[in-house]
Amino acid sequence: MDLSLHVEERTILKRIDWNLVMVILALNLVGLINLYSATHGPHSADIQPLFRNQIIWLSVGWGIFFLITFIDYQIVNRIAYLVYFLNLGAIVFVTFFGVVALGAQRWIDLGFFRYQPSETMKLAMIMVLAKTLQTRSSEGSGMGLRDLIWPLILLGAPFVLVVEQPDLGTGLLIAAISSTILLFMKIKRWILATAISAVIIAAPLAWNYALRDYQKARITNFLTPTNDPRGSGYNSIQSKIAVGSGKILGKGFRKGTQSQLEFLPERHTDFIYSVLSEEHGFIGSVTTLALFCMLFLIIIRIASTARDKFGALLTVGVLAYIFWHMFINMGMVIGLLPIVGVPLPLLSYGGSSMLTTMAGVGLISSVAYRRYLF
Amino acid sequence: MSQYISNPDEAKELLPRYRLFYATIAFTFFIFTTRLWYLQIIEGTELREFSEKNRIKQVKIMSPRGLMLDREGKILVENHPGFEAVLNPQYLKELEPLSQTLGPIVGMEPDKVVQKIVKSKRQNGPFAPIRLKDNLSKDEVFRLKRIRLDTPGLDIRETVVRHYPLRDNGSQLFGYVGEISKKQIPLYNQMYKGQITFDQGDIIGKNGLEEILEKDVRGKDGIQFVQVDAFGRESNTQTPNIYGEQIQDLDPSPGMNAVLTIDKTLQEAAFKTFSEGQRIGGVVAMKSNGEVLAWISSPSFDPNEFSTGISPQLWTKLINDPFKPLRNKVIQDHFSPGSTFKAFMAMTALQEEVISPSTVINCPGSLRFGRRDYHDHLKGGHGNITVYEALERSSNVFFYKMGISLGIEKMYSYISQLGIGQKTGIELPREATGLMPNSAWKKKELGEEWQPGENLSNAIGQGFVQATPLQLAIAYNAIGTEGKVVRPFVIKKIIDHDGKTLKETQPQIIRDIAQPQPNGIRVDPTTFKVVKEGLRRVVQGSRGTARHVHIPGADIAGKTGTTQVMGFAANDIYSKCENRPIHQRHHGWFVAFAPADNPEITVAALAEHSCHGSSGAGPVVKEIIKKYFEKYHPERLAEASKTEKSKRAQAQPEVIEGE
Repeated sequence: MDLSLHVEERTILKRIDWNLVMVILALNLVGLINLYSATHGPHSADIQPLFRNQIIWLSVGWGIFFLITFIDYQIVNRIAYLVYFLNLGAIVFVTFFGVVALGAQRWIDLGFFRYQPSETMKLAMIMVLAKTLQTRSSEGSGMGLRDLIWPLILLGAPFVLVVEQPDLGTGLLIAAISSTILLFMKIKRWILATAISAVIIAAPLAWNYALRDYQKARITNFLTPTNDPRGSGYNSIQSKIAVGSGKILGKGFRKGTQSQLEFLPERHTDFIYSVLSEEHGFIGSVTTLALFCMLFLIIIRIASTARDKFGALLTVGVLAYIFWHMFINMGMVIGLLPIVGVPLPLLSYGGSSMLTTMAGVGLISSVAYRRYLF
Repeated sequence: MSQYISNPDEAKELLPRYRLFYATIAFTFFIFTTRLWYLQIIEGTELREFSEKNRIKQVKIMSPRGLMLDREGKILVENHPGFEAVLNPQYLKELEPLSQTLGPIVGMEPDKVVQKIVKSKRQNGPFAPIRLKDNLSKDEVFRLKRIRLDTPGLDIRETVVRHYPLRDNGSQLFGYVGEISKKQIPLYNQMYKGQITFDQGDIIGKNGLEEILEKDVRGKDGIQFVQVDAFGRESNTQTPNIYGEQIQDLDPSPGMNAVLTIDKTLQEAAFKTFSEGQRIGGVVAMKSNGEVLAWISSPSFDPNEFSTGISPQLWTKLINDPFKPLRNKVIQDHFSPGSTFKAFMAMTALQEEVISPSTVINCPGSLRFGRRDYHDHLKGGHGNITVYEALERSSNVFFYKMGISLGIEKMYSYISQLGIGQKTGIELPREATGLMPNSAWKKKELGEEWQPGENLSNAIGQGFVQATPLQLAIAYNAIGTEGKVVRPFVIKKIIDHDGKTLKETQPQIIRDIAQPQPNGIRVDPTTFKVVKEGLRRVVQGSRGTARHVHIPGADIAGKTGTTQVMGFAANDIYSKCENRPIHQRHHGWFVAFAPADNPEITVAALAEHSCHGSSGAGPVVKEIIKKYFEKYHPERLAEASKTEKSKRAQAQPEVIEGE
């Protein structure tokens, strides 16, 4: 009797994980303040409307968030393959007919919106992997070769296509997210060892045969950015200057000279964190980093209290999605990693990234919503 | 469906894995925070400086050069405001229609306009302003202003342009300005170490006084701190978006003004007379203390062309002109002094007592010496004459005989003391030394012994002897002032903007040869007086070679000179000079001082290829001296014309014959 009483006490509002919502809202707020600054410089008339767009994406994002929250995530179990293959189809289409931007085909122009299927593929990947892996056992020594063949095929198809576009960054992210889920499920040690040594052997081969010149340049410039400070090392150096010149308290809102005077490239997208660091200093940068870490802790807690393995896998997948984006983006901005075109979730401008992230955290919210059995 | 129904225990088995996540997140937080701490706190100050360097561009504000004024404060060289058309390439739209509208206004082919833009974009980046045309005319400014609203990126900027109101008058003296060349930058920075720093694009004095006065007339450039964005676009600091503190601009301080010894009235008179009849050569007029009053070198050029960037066509024309307009002929070219040298010979011969003022010497039409005949310019000769007539009529044979008697060493010891073969020491650049030969010089330079015959040719200023017009002026001034060899100068003083004198040049007597000199020579005042009387007769005597130069009341004493450009066969000597092609014609000299007793002004004029000294150079000297007396001693001229009139009323009017 006690139990049934409990069920009635848990209203809709109480079931929602408000910690999750609050942290995301906090990051949204930081993101909007920062994006406003980045898009309202003296010569930024061209990107000024993007701020309004972002608010639209954000509103739509929250709509999706709550929609997914209230839908039982078990539905994903049914539509995972559908989503995956539709997405894969879109990537195939993009690879051959997409809009060429920055030397790579990434978008389908929908008129009001440039849809970037490789972005949603990350989410689709999480879904299919959660679906296939939930039946695998994660006990004992871990998954063997036979357990891995199908997940690897699912991973391999979009990876090859995305890298072919060429969008090495997204390709590597898809691989990183998937690998995190697979590792989470535990893999046999010898397979892991083989995979690592294969990567080590493949790296020089990839360098010589697979990487495009600009990709190689990014890596060499990361290692020695002062080689060509006006050329391809420019972004890396200017970003470091922007971050460092913020000092402890920053130059102040809309007063970051590096961003306002456009020394920072891609300041509203990939280098949004530089803008933040420049204008809000060490305090602002660490606070934002801490907000991300809080988000991760909340997500891990949700994963560990998930009702079932599928929910836990979905949550871990989205965690990996946000974590790797943040890790690569911030690492690049503060000069720890080479320049890769990866957005910072919830802060960078961009519809695809925003909607995908909000849908992802929506899934987590859905898992959280249903963590109680009754 | 049933197989998917989740089992909570299954989820539980994953719990230990989360520890790895916690660790990873903690590790990431730690690494990133450390890195941010390093960049923003440890390196923060340095990186802030980098960001400041990024945004603040230092723009040089050119300081206007100081003025050059004449001795009375009249402007000789000044600055004019100018306008230049500048294109800011980032705002330019289609280049084709733009060049079609701009080209005709600035007088450029539309293709050239496009080429210029494309070239500058390639060389200086897409945001560096392109100077399309400088020194726009009023009409061009007006037309450009009309199309500016419809032509984004077009800008009309104010500039400072060096202006020479005298145009091609005295341009070799004043010099000209131009952009410093890449090679000059390190040289100049070394030369003016610590005083001025030179950068690309700086305007410097390139010749003449502009070059010499660089340190004084060049002001201190100002610096404007402009906020620029990543593309070099200047961003308006007046907008609410001000980043950081604004740095105060440093105003330029203009250069000091130079007061010259030049007298603009005389300078203009000299130029006017010299230019009439297209004379080629050089003129210098100076006061007896060495102050230069007028300075002409011809043919000339307009230095204003250099201020606004000389066109390659004009430059090529100037450097290929056979009469060398860019050379300052008063000091940079030397010539045989010809008969003007005879005054020095007379001085030497009298002082060495080879002759006395009353010694009569027979002077036939030619003189045989060794195996050669040495001719006089007068076929019949001059008969028995004294040194006075020898100077008056410019007898060659008289001075051949002096040359034979004196020998080159005696000539050298006196005449070199007059400054022949020595730099005068004037402030101007690249002065020629000239040459007063002796046997040691010939042995050293040509490896040959001195030939006795060379005493004769050098005695009439035709041998190895070489002098600049300024050297002759100095030497004649020394005769006029009875011994004082002065250092000529043209920069009187440097004054600041309140008129306060910062530096002043003091007249300087290098040596007084009326006093014993280190080489043992000395010239008596009586010797000078005899020579001066001879020179006076050149102008004022009844058979003087420059009778038409005479100005009643001015008391001019001087000497003509004619120098052969090339040697001619004996029978060719008397053929008419005017019938020869211009480059073969003789040079004409006239050097004079006035008043003869106590000279105030000395003028030396060289008219190249003018055939005769008296008609070629004489009128110029006369005009300068006349203007000098009209200005400074009008009473003397008036008095003289009064006595002249009364004389004429009494006696037969004296007809002054032309030469």
